[in-house]
Amino acid sequence: MESEIVFLALDRFLVVLYGFTGHPVSDYFLGTFILALAAVLLGELTVALAFQANRKHIEALNDRLNSLQRLSLAALEAGERERYRALNKEANDAFGKVFFNAAALSAAYLWPVPFALGWMQLRFADVHIPLPFTPLAANYLVVFLLFYVPARLLFAAVRPKLPYFGRIQRVLASYRSTAGAGGEAAQQRGKVG
Amino acid sequence: MKKNRLWNALVLVMLSSLLVALVLGAGGVGAQTPAPQAAGKVGDTLGVPGKIGKAIAEAPLGTGKGQIDPGAPRGWLGIPGAPQVNPVVTFLWAVWVGWIFATVGAFGGVMAGVGHVTVYGLGAYTAAFKETAPTLNRLLTDSIRVSNQFLALLSSLVSSVNYYRMRRLVWPLGLALGAGSILGAILVPWLSGGKVTLSQYQGWFGLFVLLVGIILLYETTPRGQARRKAASEAARAFEKAIGEKGAETAQGVKVTRWNPSRVHFTFCGVEFSFNPLWPVLGGFVIAAISSFIGAGGGFLYVPFLTSIVGLPMFIVAGTSALTVFISMVSSITAYIKIAGAGIDWLLVGTQLVGVFVGSLIGPRTQKYIPDVWLKRLFVLLAFYVGLGYFSKGFFGRAWVPM
Repeated sequence: MESEIVFLALDRFLVVLYGFTGHPVSDYFLGTFILALAAVLLGELTVALAFQANRKHIEALNDRLNSLQRLSLAALEAGERERYRALNKEANDAFGKVFFNAAALSAAYLWPVPFALGWMQLRFADVHIPLPFTPLAANYLVVFLLFYVPARLLFAAVRPKLPYFGRIQRVLASYRSTAGAGGEAAQQRGKVG
Repeated sequence: MKKNRLWNALVLVMLSSLLVALVLGAGGVGAQTPAPQAAGKVGDTLGVPGKIGKAIAEAPLGTGKGQIDPGAPRGWLGIPGAPQVNPVVTFLWAVWVGWIFATVGAFGGVMAGVGHVTVYGLGAYTAAFKETAPTLNRLLTDSIRVSNQFLALLSSLVSSVNYYRMRRLVWPLGLALGAGSILGAILVPWLSGGKVTLSQYQGWFGLFVLLVGIILLYETTPRGQARRKAASEAARAFEKAIGEKGAETAQGVKVTRWNPSRVHFTFCGVEFSFNPLWPVLGGFVIAAISSFIGAGGGFLYVPFLTSIVGLPMFIVAGTSALTVFISMVSSITAYIKIAGAGIDWLLVGTQLVGVFVGSLIGPRTQKYIPDVWLKRLFVLLAFYVGLGYFSKGFFGRAWVPM
């Protein structure tokens, strides 16, 4: 079975994460947190590389969308309903491209997660942590997701201080501030990049 | 600022409570005893978890089509004798899907579905159980539907976080759409989970692809092109007229007043309002369709909110991404919990890597193919694929070779 071959190959490296304390439950939680943190790091690294490779294309798509949105709102403010509708429709098409491009790029953020979950399924499919006073139990998927969220928050908190990731974050933040306000943020992007 | 702090505190409290529950549960606090399970024809779940394992136990034993051979090597979802989805083929197909996402858009989701049903051989394997083990046939069909929805879930998650940071989410709109979409996304798996055969799914999927093809075809006709051209010219003319002194959009959205029949909010000094019943109804219908087909629905929410509810694109984008995320979480959870669909993590992971690589290649090749020709190519593909699945699903035989 292809899955088993792949995940067994990962097993010898990943299982090391689950043996730090010698206490099975603590090892399970600590190991899963480290695994989640590694998945976050790997995803962030990939998206940073992808962003650098496709920067021009992403900028062109975002600029077109932002410009159309800005124009449609200006038309609305000017009371030109027909023009607003035409521009809104154009912005709709431009958004389609931005959204599906983001869909493809989001794969870069999250690709390590299914691999981590696939390995956990092989190792911990039978481990169910009972939830107090309920007939419910948390399987490997729930445990991983519960540790993935704090891992992501932890990374977000330290990212500005990390050399490479901090720089990429500043560029991405300039896109957010763009949100239609055009030139200034674009100039800033130029400075940061 | 205050609302942000409250929101962060709420998330922190929820997360901490869940982590505490996990630690207490691991310590045996409040432990409950599970109910015993029954066996069937194969007589054992063969280690396959959930409802699929139970359906395997009920399936006929043997080495023929539509039978389970416990000694055969394990394939898709860990089922003995199921197709061994080749990671290289999966990767290459996903590169193609990623390329389409980055160049044309929504059609990438259709091609992802074609990959699951036809290219990876999951459709043919599932169809073999139609007569011999109908429950297994339906559960495997649900697993294919869930696989199709994973890409939409992941992309909408990332988009929602980004738009939230940009203050471009209208929360009453998100809540109204979300309420409708949760209902639709849970109702469809509840009503159809474990009941839809692969043939029925293929038929409806084919019909959906044909409709996508018709929309794409319209966009390539002189009339569709003229409409786009007119809008582009209007955009250019207006841009010249107002120059760079456009609307100041960095203020974000502010809800001014709301009641059950009308929500008012301002954006860039302009007041908008909508009746929340429309997004609830729209969310319900769109989520129900997307959940059944195994699609994200983002391409339906956006035109619905801009054309029918009349809201500006600037706000709609973020809110629809959040709604796709809510409806995908509801739908996938419902399929897994209610219908017992399984997930092949290696398949999902390999696809993500492939889609990512395809998205890097897309923009580099796009300049060599004019947009309209790219659309024409996908019109042909949509009609071919749509007709194939439609005829195979509803009439038992594909009218085109596939």
